[in-house]
Parts: sequence; C-alpha cells; structure tokens
Amino acid sequence: MNWPAFSLSIQLAICTLAVLLPLAVWLGRGLARSRFRGKAAVEAIILLPLVLPPTVLGYYLLVALGAGSPMGQWLADAVGVSLTFNFAGLLLASVIFNIPFMFQPIQRAFESIPAELIEAAQVSGLSGWQAFKAVELPLAWPGVLSAMVLTFVHTLGEFGVVLMIGGNIPGETQTLAIAIYDSVQTFDMQSANLMALVLVFFASFAVAASLALSARYRSRST
Amino acid sequence: MTALEASFEQINPIHLSGHFSCNAGELLALVGPSGSGKTSILRVLAGLMKPARGRVVVDGQIWLDTSQGIFLTPQQRRVGFVFQNYALMPHLSAADNVALALQHMPKSDRAIEALAWLDRVRLTEQEARRKPANLSGGQQQRVAVARALARRPELLLLDEPFSAVDQMNRTALYSLLADLRADLKIPIVLVTHDLNEARLLCDKLVVLDAGKVLQDGAPLDVYHRPRNARVADLMGIQNRFSGVWAGPSGNGRTGFLHWTAHHEDADAPESKPIVFEVPDKGKIPLGFPVSWVVHPDALRLRTERALADVNVFSVPVEVVSHRDLGELSLVELAVQALESTTFRMVVSGSQRLALGEGRRLMVDLQTDQVHIMPKKKQA
Repeated sequence: MNWPAFSLSIQLAICTLAVLLPLAVWLGRGLARSRFRGKAAVEAIILLPLVLPPTVLGYYLLVALGAGSPMGQWLADAVGVSLTFNFAGLLLASVIFNIPFMFQPIQRAFESIPAELIEAAQVSGLSGWQAFKAVELPLAWPGVLSAMVLTFVHTLGEFGVVLMIGGNIPGETQTLAIAIYDSVQTFDMQSANLMALVLVFFASFAVAASLALSARYRSRST
Repeated sequence: MTALEASFEQINPIHLSGHFSCNAGELLALVGPSGSGKTSILRVLAGLMKPARGRVVVDGQIWLDTSQGIFLTPQQRRVGFVFQNYALMPHLSAADNVALALQHMPKSDRAIEALAWLDRVRLTEQEARRKPANLSGGQQQRVAVARALARRPELLLLDEPFSAVDQMNRTALYSLLADLRADLKIPIVLVTHDLNEARLLCDKLVVLDAGKVLQDGAPLDVYHRPRNARVADLMGIQNRFSGVWAGPSGNGRTGFLHWTAHHEDADAPESKPIVFEVPDKGKIPLGFPVSWVVHPDALRLRTERALADVNVFSVPVEVVSHRDLGELSLVELAVQALESTTFRMVVSGSQRLALGEGRRLMVDLQTDQVHIMPKKKQA
C-alpha cells in the first residue's frame, strides 16, 4: 500500500474542494438567477472539461504553463512559481478538470428554488446575504452536497490530467490512481489490488453517505 | 387621509397604466381577467418590479418616484405580501417562517413574537412547530398572513387570497380580513378575479384590463355606473344593450334613448323604433352610438301593462327560457320589437307562476336607473 500516494490524493481532493466550492456556489447561483447574452456560451465553456479527454486538457495545461512557455516563464521570473510537476500544478489541473462536476449540480440546485421564495424573503426584510444564508443555501444544500461528493471522488480517481501536468514523482505528484498503474507495471499486483480496493471503498462510502444525507435532509423538510 | 397613492405608466415588458388611491383601513380590490396586470401592480407596490414611470406614496413616504429617481427596495418598504401560493419556506417550521419577517427585532425575542402572531391567526403552538408541508392549505395561508403582518407593514398586499382555499376556510378568511382591517388601520390591496368576493369585501374596486385601470370607485358605483362597455362586461353585467342618443327632451333633465338591436341587420324588416326617456347629463352628442345597462333591481316582470307611471317604461317580451333553481328562477326574455335582444332576470315568488316558454309578458324598466355609456369614439 502506497500511503504517500493515498495521502496526496486525499490532500488534493480536499484542496480542490476548498478552492472550487465557494467559486461554484457564487457563480452557480449567479448563473441560475441571471439571464444575459452569451449565457449559453458560458455554460458550454463550463462543460468543456467534461467532454475533452483528460490527456488533452493536461497537454494544453502543460504547454501553457511549462517552463518553455511565455506564461510559465513569466510565472517563474516575476512570481517565482512553477506550476508543472508539483502540487500547485496538480491542484490547478484538478480544479479546472472538476469545474463541470461542481458547477452543474450547484447551478441546477439554485435554479430549482422558486423565484417566489426569494421574493418572499425580500419582502420579509431579509438582505441578500441573509436570504442566502436562511433560504437559498439550505434549499440548494442537497445539490451542493452531491456536487462536493462527486468532485471529491472524481479527484481521487483522476489519472490522465494529473499524469500530464504532475508527472509521476513519488511523494510529490504521484496520486493513488497513478500509483495503481505503477504497481501494475511492476507486477506488484498485491498493492495494486489493495489500493484499488481502497478507492472502491471510498467511492462507495461517499456515494452512500451523500444519498443518506440528502434523504435525511428531505425528510426533515417535510 | 389617503394612505396609499399609486400611479404607473409603462409599455414594455408589460403594458401598465393608471392611477388609484386607498385610505387607511380600507380594502381595495384589483379586479380583472387573468393577464390584466393585477399581480404586476402588486409587485410594483411591493418593490419587486420597477415600472418605467411611476410613483408610489405610502403614508406620506415616497416609496417610488421615477421622476426623482427614488426607488425603495422591498427591504426598505414596510410591506406585507401574501403570495398566491403562500411562498412559505419549505425547510422552516411555521414559527420560523414568521420569525423570518422579524429581522427588526432582537434574535432572542423573535421566537416568542412569532408564536404570538401565529396565535392571532389561530394556529396552536403545536401547529407552529410543523413544516408547511404538514399543514393544511388554510393553515398555510394563515401562516403566510402572519408572516406578512409580523413585519408591521404600512401596506398589506394579498395576491388571490381566496383562489386556493375551500369554502369553509374562505369564510374564516373573510372574518380574519374584517378583523385585520379594523385593527391595522393600513391600506389593504387584494387581487382577485372573483367579482362577488370583491363586491362583498371591498370598499373600493379598481377594474383592470390589459394593464390599464379602466375605472375605480365604490363597488356599487362601478356596478351601477360602469364607465364603458368593457367595464360592464368585466363586471359581469348581463343586461347590456345598444342604442343611439336621440338628444335632450327639452325639460333639461331627461333625453331620448333610441334602443337598437345589438347587431343591426340591414336586411331585417324596419321595425318600429323603441324610444324612451332617460336621465340626461348632457355629455353625449346627438346621434352618438351608446351602450346602456340597467341593474336587475330596476326590472320588474308583469303579466299585463301597468298604469302609466313616470320613470317606468314597459317593454313587451316573450319568455325564451327559464331555469328553476330552488326558490329562484333564471329567466331569459326576448324583446319582441328587437332582433337578438334579451333581458336576463332572476325572479321569485308569485312572478314565477307566469313563466312558461313562449308566454308574452311585460318588463317594467325603471328608466332613472338606466346608465348610458358612449361607445368608442368614431375615428
């Protein structure tokens, strides 16, 4: 069992969530409540990572951010940061790759709140922030929760995009999925087996937990 | 003292135009067919919609004045709004729903105050702990009313409050409204498409059609003296007829009304014109086409011609149909001298004995109760 890889995968999943959650709630709610020209285009761009092969996405990120690219050079010279073959690069790739998994369910959840309820909150005197806390977020919560679970499990299982931008540096950019591939390559079927089981367990647990939580949530609101 | 003054003018996205006012402690009903802009006007009053041009003044305070660039948000207006489907928060208990509208109070007092409001609309403490889904429709509505009142509004708005409740709850709601009106001393505006309800409850009617205020006034006034044919139709006035204004009679008080069939048929044989004397306000030019209405109370059915009487004009009619409903009968009577022109009346008592299809009878028409409206101005 490759514990460093396991721990890295968990860290990456938590950090991805931490970056994406506030962004997705803010923008998803905004998209749900507004109509503007080009909204369909914005929604299409959000969906793009879903339809692109992960290796393609990883390739372009590598090309854009690598030390040979203008952006990579500027980052190295001006900011002193490199975004390839390290955790920061992994995180960036993971965030971009998970945008549709996070945004879609959250936007749908906010869309499903009847406009009348938000208006009722306004005429009851609630400010935008108060209405968000007391009405919108609780009502959108099942959608937000399932987006979080989906993103978390999805990050644990990421392979292509992570391999492209992070490489396969044990202890630094080698995630659990990559470690499984590595083990199989070296005919270490026993640890591959164990790690695969861990992923299966995690995924099942996460899905079961999210279903149970949203079921409980629904029963509370009736 | 006028506690609510509202005017608005807008073409897009929905056409709205008109003006009305309402005193404190008065109940004003916005009536009109669906799509006539009733709900939009409530939304303008609540600040949920901003018209292109408009002004709303409540209790001396300007809530909206587009010419001065004043627009108070719903949060800044003390307004109670009871939504058509109540718009209760499904994840909150009845008490918590009411507490939402108590933002002006310290947090610790809100729970007690919410229960007090629910008690006022006759909900028990146990019911107050339930989520909306576990309350009946009537109870949900009372929670919505309590939430609207908890904000201590200066204006109460009710969107179709009676549409979704059964007859028993309706009666309860009528009495609740009557109590509120006496206690609150604020203007109450309600939207309804039920004219009977509006007539029963309101001090003032505002008739809307296609976003336009056609007439406003006391319910009886609007009903007896509709401004035009469209208002008469919207008010469900059935005895509406056509005519031509034949000019003043010379005594300064009355004039002649030439009664014509609804649709003049050129091929129809020339019939003897029906002309009678009605009150004249001197507003209609000679020869101008008019619509006229007469209230059912001013009609009387007889078996023979009455003795000549001032203000009574007797019309020979034939019974077309009659439907007996318990103690009453609905009768349709064709005017013999005019094509496709009928009276509709409700008769009771001994008058019903004369009913029989094809029977020839007389209708006595109280001419001083005739209300004349000029038809649309000719281009």
